[in-house]
Amino acid sequence: MIGRRCGALAILGTLTLGLVACSPSASEGDSGTTGDGDEVTLEVWGWRQEDVAAYEKIFQLYEDANPGVTVEYVPYKADEYDTILRTGLGDASGPDVAQLRSYGLLQPLVAADSLVPLDDEVDALADFPDSVMDGARGVADGQVYGVPFALQTLHVIYNQAIFDEHGITAPQTWDDMIAAFGTLQSAGVTPLAATVADTWMLPIQHEIFGASTYGGYDYLDQMLAGAAGFTDQPWLDSLTTWQSTSEFWAPQYQGVTYADAQALFTSGQAAMFPGGIWELAVFAQANPDLELGIFNVPPPPGAAVQETLVPGYVDGSFGVSAASPDQEAALDLVRWMAGEEFGQAFTDELRQISAVPGIEPADELLAQALEAHLANPSPYVTYAYFSSDQPTAWDLASEALSDFVLGGATAEEAAGHIQQGVDQWFEPQS
Amino acid sequence: MTSGPRRPARASRYRAGRTGLGWIAGFTLPALTLYGLLIVVPLVTAFYYGFFHWEGTQRAGFAGLGNYQEVLTRYPLGDEIPVALWHNVLFFVGTMAIQNTVGLGLAVLLYRNPRFKRFFQTVFSLPYLISPLIVGYLWSLLLSPSFGPVNYVLQSVGLDSWARPWLGDPGTALPVLILVNAWQWIGGPMLIFLAALGGIPRELEEAAALDGASSARAFWSVRFPLLRPAVGVITVLTFIGCFNIFDLVYALGGSDGGPGGAMDVLGLLYYRTAFEGGTNAIGESSALAMMIFVLIFGVAIVLERFLRRREVTS
Repeated sequence: MIGRRCGALAILGTLTLGLVACSPSASEGDSGTTGDGDEVTLEVWGWRQEDVAAYEKIFQLYEDANPGVTVEYVPYKADEYDTILRTGLGDASGPDVAQLRSYGLLQPLVAADSLVPLDDEVDALADFPDSVMDGARGVADGQVYGVPFALQTLHVIYNQAIFDEHGITAPQTWDDMIAAFGTLQSAGVTPLAATVADTWMLPIQHEIFGASTYGGYDYLDQMLAGAAGFTDQPWLDSLTTWQSTSEFWAPQYQGVTYADAQALFTSGQAAMFPGGIWELAVFAQANPDLELGIFNVPPPPGAAVQETLVPGYVDGSFGVSAASPDQEAALDLVRWMAGEEFGQAFTDELRQISAVPGIEPADELLAQALEAHLANPSPYVTYAYFSSDQPTAWDLASEALSDFVLGGATAEEAAGHIQQGVDQWFEPQS
Repeated sequence: MTSGPRRPARASRYRAGRTGLGWIAGFTLPALTLYGLLIVVPLVTAFYYGFFHWEGTQRAGFAGLGNYQEVLTRYPLGDEIPVALWHNVLFFVGTMAIQNTVGLGLAVLLYRNPRFKRFFQTVFSLPYLISPLIVGYLWSLLLSPSFGPVNYVLQSVGLDSWARPWLGDPGTALPVLILVNAWQWIGGPMLIFLAALGGIPRELEEAAALDGASSARAFWSVRFPLLRPAVGVITVLTFIGCFNIFDLVYALGGSDGGPGGAMDVLGLLYYRTAFEGGTNAIGESSALAMMIFVLIFGVAIVLERFLRRREVTS
């Protein structure tokens, strides 16, 4: 008897624990804004717990110039942030200004009318390039809902000491690069600390090694117009180009996680790490003695373009909550965030590339990354341009590329998986 | 049988009934309130939400069975549901075969050799106290192909060919999940079987021995049939646990279910639909949750009734 009752209760209990989590509810926490005469407190929600001290310094600049305004950066855990923000934005006690994810991940907030359109509110947005504004745009109405704050660029990051030890310099041609990989491998050094087990890194690595092969923005334009797709030859070739480097990945790379790959690189067991520019700060923290360099993959034989393309995308933006009781003050804050003072403070304090046009990073490698990206930009196709509906190309690519590098699918099958998923909702632009 | 003894009995039952109602209400109301608020309300709410289309957190139009249809037919979600369900089934079968069988073996060993019984009971139950997330992350470190001690030890003793990316190979990922899960929970069936073994009257075993039954024959013909109630409870609890698994597999293989989705299970599928889904994530995930609920609840009840019928009482 006890077993039967316990069984039934346990079934109900264990299942509904999961159901609770999906229930939308009123946001928690105290009021973000206190209107007391001219005193205004603005809550800025974000997912960067490690950046609190830097944001305090940055917002101090705004507070000094705007007496009576207090800006508080309220961080949440990155993997819980999206859920918390979705409920928080619907309530006046939520944020006044919020860090927003870019591209497809922004769309649920736009659909819920949780954000204030900024097209007519922030004049400085007119100076931002269209490719940057795409990261903060609602797909359904084309309006801009955030001021982009950071660009992320994708590179091969290398250990300068290992390169020096083996007489290697940043490669200028594909053949140079493969030769360098071979030299390192012969010397017992893992050339590339590639992440395989954490599948979200696979589309990033594919862009780093395959962008020139499929052609970057030129090919993207054809894809958006419906004239090309994931299953066409340039894209298929880009998959095999990337996969051809797997002989230089770590032994038993199938089980190498993101954390493993980072540790392989920072411990000096691997000479290079293909990933985002945000890794610079992470690597410097893990091993302050590391001397780092970056390069991008030169076009391989048969590539669609002969330039060394540098993929990049908008990391996120700052938007204004439609439920904020201090919307005007919040709008003033994001107007400042679109300007030079915020952009410079952001790049100096956080060691990231500011999305504000004209801001030059003081950090040498960041400046190199930005300059290279601006000279030969390439999109992060699956994440940025085919992620506005379900299933997103980014999710599909993560699955398909995992199958592909593990030998469970051919390039055609992997590309077919992405195309079949996207075809359910994507409509070519006229 | 006289009427004398009945009167006080009737009176006491009457008194117990009157006072009992108040006491019962007083004791159960807090628990019922919590149960209602934390379990029944969200369950009913999810059922309700599943019939609407959602724009982020805003409820839009009535969708009828649209969300159910979407979940079952959209590529690749519709294809992933049977695959994930099959992985849950394999996980259940593997857990029954390894965790519960070895648990029974350990219980018999400790029952026969009471020396150090408490010590081993504690040792085998200790992993219980650790969160499955921590267990998962610990084992993913132990099994790491780059830094893990498991492969290092294998290579050190000349078994290089045995060293492999345990969690990165689609062929080994699910068996490893079953073994790690068994490592954590093996103390559960062991304790239940140990208690059940202690409840079997010694006379039955002595009678079997006097009749000349061997030790193995006495176990299979006398003890094991009397353990069936425990087997039933453990089977149902294992079924529920295996079909609700999330935390351990998330820690071992991430939300995608490891290499090529080799460890993808219904819990991860729900997580991806709810927390990595699009604008209508609430509607679709509610529909998926209700389907999983009906499946587990229905099968668990059928399973339990089937096992109850086969019980033997001493």
